[in-house]
Amino acid sequence: MAESALQARRELDPLPLIEGRHDDGTLNKTLLDYVWQRPQPGWLTLFFIGMGGTGLLLAGIAVTLAKGIGMWGNNIPVAWAFGIINFVWWIGIGHAGTLISAILLLFQQKWRTSINRFAEAMTLFAVMQAGLFPVLHLGRPWFAYWLFPYPSTNSIWPQFKSPLMWDVFAVSTYFTTSLLFWYLGLIPDLASLRDASAKRSTRFIYGVFAIGWRGSARHWHHYKIAYLLLAGLATPLVLSVHTIVSWDFALSILPGWHTTIFPPYFVAGAVFSGFAMVLTLMVPARRFLKLKHVITLRHLEAMSKVMLLTGLIVAYGYLMEHFIAWYSGDEFESHVFFQTRARGPYRGIYYLMIFCNIVVPQSFWFPWARRNVFYLWIASVLINVGMWCERFVIVVTSLHQDFIPANWAMYYPTWVDFSLLFGTIAFFGTLFLLFLKYLPAVAATELKELRHELEHEWLEGAKR
Amino acid sequence: MKLPLAGQSRPWRSVEELQSPPAPSRELGPAEPPSRREVLQLLGASAALATMGGCLKPPDEKILPYTKQPPEVTPGNPLHYATCSTLDGRATGLLVTASEGRPTKVEGSPEHPSSKGGIGVLEQAQLLSLYDPQRLKVVQYKSELRSWRDFLATMIAKSRVLRDRRGEGLRFLMEPSSSPLIAHLRQRLLEVYPRARFSSWSAIPLQQIHDGAQLAFGSAYETRIDLSRAQAVASLDADFLSAMPGNARPMKDWAARRVPPNMARLYAVEAHLSVTGMNADHRLRLKPSQVHRFGLALLGRLVPRHAALAKRFSFSAEELRFADVLARDLQRAGAGAAVLVGARQPPVLHAAMHAINAALGSSVVSQAKPVLHEMDAGPRALRVLAEEMRRGAVDTLIMTAYNPVYGATSDINFAMALSQVNTSVYRTLYADETAERAGWVLPAAHPLESWGDARAHDGTISFQQPLIAPLYAGVSEAEMLAALFGEGDRTAYTQLREFWQARVPELGRFDLTWEKWIADGFIPGTAVKAESPAVNHDAVLAEAMKVPPAEKPGLEINVVADTKVLDGRFGNNGWLQELPDPVTKLTWENAALLSPATAAELGVEQGDLVDLTLRGPPARAPVVIAPGHADGAVTVAIGYGRRSDAETLCKGIGFDTSTLRHSDLPWFAPGLALVATGRKARLAQTQQHHSMEGRIIAVSAALPKLRETEEMLEEQRGAPLSFHRPWDYSKGYRWGMAIDLSRCTGCSSCVVACQAENNVPVVGKDRVWRSREMHWLRVDRYFLGEDAANPGVVFQPLMCVHCESAPCEYVCPVNATVHSDEGLNEMVYNRCVGTRYCSNNCPYKVRRFNFFSYTSEYSDQEKMAFNPDVTVRSRGVMEKCTYCVQRIERARIHSRVEGREIRDGEIQTACQQACPADAIVFGDLNDSGSRVSRLLSSERRYDLLHELGTRPRTGYLARVMNPNPELA
Repeated sequence: MAESALQARRELDPLPLIEGRHDDGTLNKTLLDYVWQRPQPGWLTLFFIGMGGTGLLLAGIAVTLAKGIGMWGNNIPVAWAFGIINFVWWIGIGHAGTLISAILLLFQQKWRTSINRFAEAMTLFAVMQAGLFPVLHLGRPWFAYWLFPYPSTNSIWPQFKSPLMWDVFAVSTYFTTSLLFWYLGLIPDLASLRDASAKRSTRFIYGVFAIGWRGSARHWHHYKIAYLLLAGLATPLVLSVHTIVSWDFALSILPGWHTTIFPPYFVAGAVFSGFAMVLTLMVPARRFLKLKHVITLRHLEAMSKVMLLTGLIVAYGYLMEHFIAWYSGDEFESHVFFQTRARGPYRGIYYLMIFCNIVVPQSFWFPWARRNVFYLWIASVLINVGMWCERFVIVVTSLHQDFIPANWAMYYPTWVDFSLLFGTIAFFGTLFLLFLKYLPAVAATELKELRHELEHEWLEGAKR
Repeated sequence: MKLPLAGQSRPWRSVEELQSPPAPSRELGPAEPPSRREVLQLLGASAALATMGGCLKPPDEKILPYTKQPPEVTPGNPLHYATCSTLDGRATGLLVTASEGRPTKVEGSPEHPSSKGGIGVLEQAQLLSLYDPQRLKVVQYKSELRSWRDFLATMIAKSRVLRDRRGEGLRFLMEPSSSPLIAHLRQRLLEVYPRARFSSWSAIPLQQIHDGAQLAFGSAYETRIDLSRAQAVASLDADFLSAMPGNARPMKDWAARRVPPNMARLYAVEAHLSVTGMNADHRLRLKPSQVHRFGLALLGRLVPRHAALAKRFSFSAEELRFADVLARDLQRAGAGAAVLVGARQPPVLHAAMHAINAALGSSVVSQAKPVLHEMDAGPRALRVLAEEMRRGAVDTLIMTAYNPVYGATSDINFAMALSQVNTSVYRTLYADETAERAGWVLPAAHPLESWGDARAHDGTISFQQPLIAPLYAGVSEAEMLAALFGEGDRTAYTQLREFWQARVPELGRFDLTWEKWIADGFIPGTAVKAESPAVNHDAVLAEAMKVPPAEKPGLEINVVADTKVLDGRFGNNGWLQELPDPVTKLTWENAALLSPATAAELGVEQGDLVDLTLRGPPARAPVVIAPGHADGAVTVAIGYGRRSDAETLCKGIGFDTSTLRHSDLPWFAPGLALVATGRKARLAQTQQHHSMEGRIIAVSAALPKLRETEEMLEEQRGAPLSFHRPWDYSKGYRWGMAIDLSRCTGCSSCVVACQAENNVPVVGKDRVWRSREMHWLRVDRYFLGEDAANPGVVFQPLMCVHCESAPCEYVCPVNATVHSDEGLNEMVYNRCVGTRYCSNNCPYKVRRFNFFSYTSEYSDQEKMAFNPDVTVRSRGVMEKCTYCVQRIERARIHSRVEGREIRDGEIQTACQQACPADAIVFGDLNDSGSRVSRLLSSERRYDLLHELGTRPRTGYLARVMNPNPELA
């Protein structure tokens, strides 16, 4: 009787955050040691594929810069297409990092510890990809600096009424904060790597980046304050960046863009896609880097739940868009939502979006789906595809049929469009592989701290 | 090259110079007087140079500016010269703008009777052809380069032989012409070579008009129309509202009759939907072979002595009802009634038209002696000539007609016939298909490079003056003909001036008279008198009774002259190739037009490639589904599928219809076979959606329902509610535009005018397919009604409407599109970085983006066509309609110099100026008396997409149709 009660109690218990018994030494070893190992063939293969894809990206960029934006499929009326879709998609993906690092830190969610470094790196790389597109998509990218308010001799300032202007500030702030946050978190681990370095060169390199961290109480004191401050600073950014990105659309008068629900729905969508991307990367990484003991099913499950929640918000957003289109009685908006999207020439992408973003996450109501690693991976890839489709539906589908039917025209992407999309994915992957190889993918310091806390809790519980 | 004058004792400055061969130098004069031999050498050389030099240096001939005649040309101030265009053999008055000595814009002459300020697309686009780098540049003999002097030498020898034979074997194939000078030269040639024969040829139909007049009146007559008196007009395949040569005046007169409340009514009976058909109040689509039967049935209803025809032909009940109602309406209209017949229609229908118009007592149409030297200029005449050539009866053939090898129907096989001719001479702008097979090929001087004369459509004598010295070694028609009687050294100017001098009695005052003529571009009061010849009803009836009562079943072909490349001569013109067809909106090719029902029956869809066969090899054509097209027929346009290597723009574009045409039935024929190939073509159409989706966009209302429509439109105009206080525009000028859809015929002349004025680049077929055409002004065309087979059509010219509250402006991150205090929405090209956000936020989608560096794709010659007042745009920059801001600024400068306000009507935008229908009016909205203010205060006025609150400065006036209640 007592034993079965204990059994039942154990089943109700959350899954462990750290599997197995570890002390600081074993954690150090498992989390940092792979940095010193020679690259494995699997890593090398992926790296070369990534470099090949990056070459494709560079080719796409070169052609775009040399010949002009006409190498893309954009036209009038569809003046924005893959460039902006990719931008919004990557920025959205970049949301998970800040959310996990900052908001979950402030909410004291312990499970964030194992994945925050990972997510932050992903954010950074995703924002780097995103940052390419606003420049590349310009007709005259060499004048991109005109978007910054600098004291120029022709005394023209940017137009502060334009959401694109706000975008410049939002994205650059976001990138800077994310970079600082990520780097700050890395410092103690870089110091660990420096201390563990066998070679002079690596010790020097890690030493430079560890900027003299010695782990004194004073250091820790400052570190903790700075980390918390940055977390506080980054938290509003999670909301602001994608809100401002959504204003690029919502502040226009185009039916399908001019929607007040865009800011919350974009933020939810961004977190949704960001978590999906973290999962897509983490599932294989935890296996190949042998991190299963610190990135446990509990983490995966928590992330699935976040995806379920944000997925539901996104679904609500879709529903509301359609409802308002019908409720407003506006003929242009009704046309966009009930004709162009659902029955227009791009309806395949619309239905793929519905499937990936609404149907797939519903499976996360069930524990088997949240705990089946392979299923989770497939689902996360699908959600990423779905979120890309969502941006396609918003950008291209709304533009290609607007107010005056004589304007309507089809949009067909070119090889350059695809090279830039897949090229950024490859570049992103390459950066990530480098990160996994040369930096600790899991915040070892924080994890050690967590282990202590957990041990303490356990002891407290045992005492009681 | 060693000059004959390089003396023996030359000074030297260095040893190298002494040892090197003597170089020509201006410093070195002759050391001793030239010998007699040298003088003769020099004389010969300078004579040769002088002959050729006429083409290389500015002419000594004096050309005269139109109205303003400053003492000298001021750089930056363009001059305007009156001249004329003779695309259909008759003169259409032009007013050409010359900037720093090169023509940059062609407009309609406001005074000339054939244009009255309006202008068609082809005349305007001639400008680009002038600067085409692919024009033929030098004289050639069998593809070898020769000089004009070589040609003259050959001709002197040849003419000696021909003179001896009294011109036996000498034949001329002329471009249809009305020129008095050419008539005079022809007469002189016939005096020298009495046995020579002249014939004219044009792919544009004339033969049937000639035969019809012969049948009805017993002699050659041409029909004149004066639509300003029209009350009810029936067009039997007559496309008098398209922007083709000769239509500018009818369009102007007709448009004035389409303004409510007192409106004329238009009926159209045709196979394919034409521009006129799009404007018709009632339209009946009939198979091509039925149109003339319908006309004869109409004759039977209107003229009692032809009553036998009324019931002779089989028509459906609906068609008969149409005929009955039409006949009644025409009778009611009486003198205001007219039946017009398309030139392609068989002679019997032309004769029937004469009979009907005479019986109705129509004052809209009148007859006059033709101004063309030969009206019988069709496949029949060409066939006769080709037979002679094949027989070997033609020794020398002089050709000025456009490209007979390409344009002749396949059974004539003119290329083969041409190979039988000993000496052939062909004057042409391009080394086209005929040039490839001719002996001597002479580069033609472009109409804007040559002197000449012609008669307008009403016979008014008009003059052509060059705007620029020939860019290449071009010769005019008169110069070439003069070479045949040894006057090859006489320039066209000399010939023209002397010819007219001989015809002016007061010799002393000729200079003044001549200068006035040339400056005006025409001699007023020289129209050919109208006559009312009696109709030979018996002959007409006899011919009509020969028409079998029913057509042959099966698919028919319907061949039309193209509205853009005409008969192919404008194939190498980018403006025209890229101009969307007014009806199908197709660019850069021709297609097989099929009605939706016929396409479904044949199992083909839009874009399918099909093989068309008619008594010959197949032609491969893409299918375009054309609502409003008659069932059981396929319409194809001539002028495409060109094969000459010299014209790279049009080579291989579209398909050649010559294999489908035969000289007995060149325009309509039964027995067409259509086979789908299973392949698809990419069609570059500028409009892909043809329904208004029930939105209030291009408003069209029937006259009886005008009141209701006006009430409905009350909510579509005026300042909408706003949180913001609107900018105060009440001081100074407030520019605005009114577009009267009731006048607009959708002809697209404005599109070319805008392209020429604003240096709008041509982008090419692939880019049009990608919807990247650059036209600042487009003409949207919508189909109305539920009946896809015979829909109503409405069109709307749309360019930037200059919103007072412009959505494009606030979204630009770099302030590149801003508002002027006079209300212009301005585009600052230099500042634009190309985010394209403005285009996304423009509800009218009238902004155009330079996806590539289009202007750098132009050749140096083509760049000469650029308007110097308008910036050319670089890659990555947005552009759009500016309301022709350069014209506003020029007017502002003039008015300031004169210390006054800009007058109403002083500024005409390019589209307004070209519009033959006066549908576009621009002006100051702060001046309540201005034309634009008065138009915009009309009850028909509405603002496009008014509910968005953009407050556009361009207002539209709803189109009003005048349907016959009996047919409703």
